[in-house]
Amino acid sequence: MTISDETLMAFADGELDDAARAAVELALRTDPQLAKRVAEHRALRQRIQAAYSAELSEPVPERLLSAAKRRADASGTNVVNLQDARDAMARDAIARDTARARPLRTWWGPAGSIAASLIIGLGLGYGRWHQSAPLTRNAGGALVASGQLAQGLSQQLAADGSAAAAVQIGISFLARSGDYCRTFVLSGAISPAGVACHHGQEWQILTLSQSAASGSATAGYRTAASEMSPAILQAVQELISGEPLDATAEAAARSKGWNSAR
Amino acid sequence: MNTSEASQTIHEQIVTLLPRLRRFARNLTHNPHDADDVVQIAVERALLRLDQWRRDARLDSWMFKIVRNAWIDELRSRGRRDKVFLAEEAGDHVGIESIENEATRMSVHAAMARLPEDQRVAVSLVLIEGLPYKEAAEVLEVPIGTLTSRLARGRQALQALLGDEG
Repeated sequence: MTISDETLMAFADGELDDAARAAVELALRTDPQLAKRVAEHRALRQRIQAAYSAELSEPVPERLLSAAKRRADASGTNVVNLQDARDAMARDAIARDTARARPLRTWWGPAGSIAASLIIGLGLGYGRWHQSAPLTRNAGGALVASGQLAQGLSQQLAADGSAAAAVQIGISFLARSGDYCRTFVLSGAISPAGVACHHGQEWQILTLSQSAASGSATAGYRTAASEMSPAILQAVQELISGEPLDATAEAAARSKGWNSAR
Repeated sequence: MNTSEASQTIHEQIVTLLPRLRRFARNLTHNPHDADDVVQIAVERALLRLDQWRRDARLDSWMFKIVRNAWIDELRSRGRRDKVFLAEEAGDHVGIESIENEATRMSVHAAMARLPEDQRVAVSLVLIEGLPYKEAAEVLEVPIGTLTSRLARGRQALQALLGDEG
């Protein structure tokens, strides 16, 4: 039987299946030329590899290192579509599974940043009030609430949610990290919903997603803040310590400026 | 500020891959400055498109593919107005033990530079970056038979250029 050079090459590279490998091994025993050829393939491979090994110990330029460490939101890109953001959220839910039980404020992944871009980039859907002041800003790689969102998180009680409000508050709870957290829904056709936690005098937004009923909602339809999307629900379940605050505890937490005892 | 294990892992994995991405990009672009530009673009793209990375896929293959696509885009936008230089060497290699090794290294680099691009990239992915044929074919978006024939021709040419001294 004749064995092509390509087959010998694949043999030398360990790429043949069992049957083909057995056939080559059999042929090698009787044909020293074939064996020599395989040895050449292997020697060449080693030689090429060795000639390109120095590159691996070269210092990597700082700009590449920082590009790799950068959170996506810092790249200045806010072109993102809803499907991307949804997919990213779904992926993050998986990622968070592996990060479960870690302190809440330490989680800040690229998808959160994509969500950040979403909220910044899709301002059109948010209604007339949006133009006045941004609802979020970037603070050292974390997305924090600002403007009406920060105000709503700090001041509003769940019971206050009127249809006219820019922000509706869902539930409030104490997280395992010791921070107070609240779920919220923004007004507008897209109705993004999220979870924000009060930490260091800021509301850090840990999760942001479309609310459950918003996808096919007609313009003006408001999702009740209590209807949490699966992503929000999951985030709450991961963060929460004990039960959500009742109205009395919610008001008490607000009067303490959302600073917990810890 | 800490980052979570999950997000840290992906950023750190990419940092770990950077030397290989640069090496591949140099073989692709033939120019260390272009290579670093293309790697930077690719890293930024990858981080924005993490949701497109299948978690069961190899991160290195996925990144090599993004590097290659970034280079294709770059060539298109330049309209190939720049002549690609032949094997310009970066002046800052480290870890070179001796002049003899350096001479061997340079002869291999010079031989690689003489290969047609499709063969050079196939050799680069399989022999240098160590990808299995199947992964390399996916990076290049060609059938595996095309990959193996480019690889075989590339090897033959290298063997001829480098002689038999092994």
